Amino acid sequence: MIEPRIILALATGLGAVGLGLVLPGGSGRRRAAGALFALAALVAWASLLPGVGPWLANGLFALLAAVTIVAAGAMISCRSPMYSAIWFGMTLLGTAGLFLLVGAEFLAVATLVVYAGAILVTFLFVLMLSEPEGRTSYDRRSWAAMLSATTGAVLIGVLSLTLATGLAGPAGPRASGGGLPRDGLPSAPPTEPADAVGGLLAPSPPAAHRPPPEGPYAVAQLGTELFTRYVIPVEAVATLLLAALVGAAVIIGPRRTPQAP
Amino acid sequence: MTNDLAALHSYLAVAAVLVGIGLVGFLSRRNMIVMFLSAETMLQGVSLSLVAWGRFHGDLGGQILVLFIIALAAAEAAIALALVVTLFARRGSLDIAAWQDLRESDQPPFEEEDLPPEPSDEPAAWPHLAPAGIEPASIDEKEHYRPKV
Repeated sequence: MIEPRIILALATGLGAVGLGLVLPGGSGRRRAAGALFALAALVAWASLLPGVGPWLANGLFALLAAVTIVAAGAMISCRSPMYSAIWFGMTLLGTAGLFLLVGAEFLAVATLVVYAGAILVTFLFVLMLSEPEGRTSYDRRSWAAMLSATTGAVLIGVLSLTLATGLAGPAGPRASGGGLPRDGLPSAPPTEPADAVGGLLAPSPPAAHRPPPEGPYAVAQLGTELFTRYVIPVEAVATLLLAALVGAAVIIGPRRTPQAP
Repeated sequence: MTNDLAALHSYLAVAAVLVGIGLVGFLSRRNMIVMFLSAETMLQGVSLSLVAWGRFHGDLGGQILVLFIIALAAAEAAIALALVVTLFARRGSLDIAAWQDLRESDQPPFEEEDLPPEPSDEPAAWPHLAPAGIEPASIDEKEHYRPKV
């Protein structure tokens, strides 16, 4: 979290510049930029007021969630696969923003760099190699559109229902440890002591609700954890990446003709 | 605490919607690349839910799992795109229905329905333009000109 004093200084400077640009005398573009600056300054200033900060964070979450979901919907409904890929990039941006909002800075950057920077560009390359037009007959039709849409809608509905009944139940004193309220899980024995709430779902010290790491130490903590506790999975994933690289090269490489003995 | 729970709720809801949309895309689209993009969308939804759970529990395990998911997605994309390029070279099409002879033996073959009419770039009627650069027929009829105001 940046210090409030710095935010206030930034907001003051931005507001001054924005107001100066907005005053009549400049071109339309300059005045529009000034209006943007002034708006940003207003938002930054308002975030310092008590009680407004969480409200702003909620608004930001709603905005990012809407961007993510709308982009995903547009991705599967676009006719041209090229537009689909671009919309998928928008979904990635929204997800990265949500990661940032939930305090996973490294993951946000990694999503942008690895997904949007590498995977999406590879998709675009393959699209360019094949059919970028979206005029083909199979891009203009779907398999059983109603049936699959119903399947997805039912899945979303069931998941939401699980959320509503499984998590939002009366939290009561059992959730005081910070763990998961087990009301919706049928396997939870009713006489479970309050301290064991974390159970299977919280492998690290049970029911110890540490505050999530914040600020510049979050990434350092992530790296420490990654290379101490999870070092063997890291090596395994490295081997897997190498195997995938070799496999892709073998699959797509030139066909070797068997030599006559 | 209730605040944390509410945040977890909203993140999980977004994750559920992402997974559902990805499922619909994977089931209904016929372009192989769009199918893979839909699968990646489902992975994004799962990643979001993992990060939200990790935040709720104050545990970094969720974020680390998502890191592994990203690495696996990279490996998957490499293999899948190599396969897609090979399949495209064999059949000349990204249509997944081009490979329907791999279906189970008792399944009926997929039959093409009638296509909706192709939207064409050309407009139904071109605008009529008067030929330009032709000398007017009679220059003498000055009286038909509109008088200057």
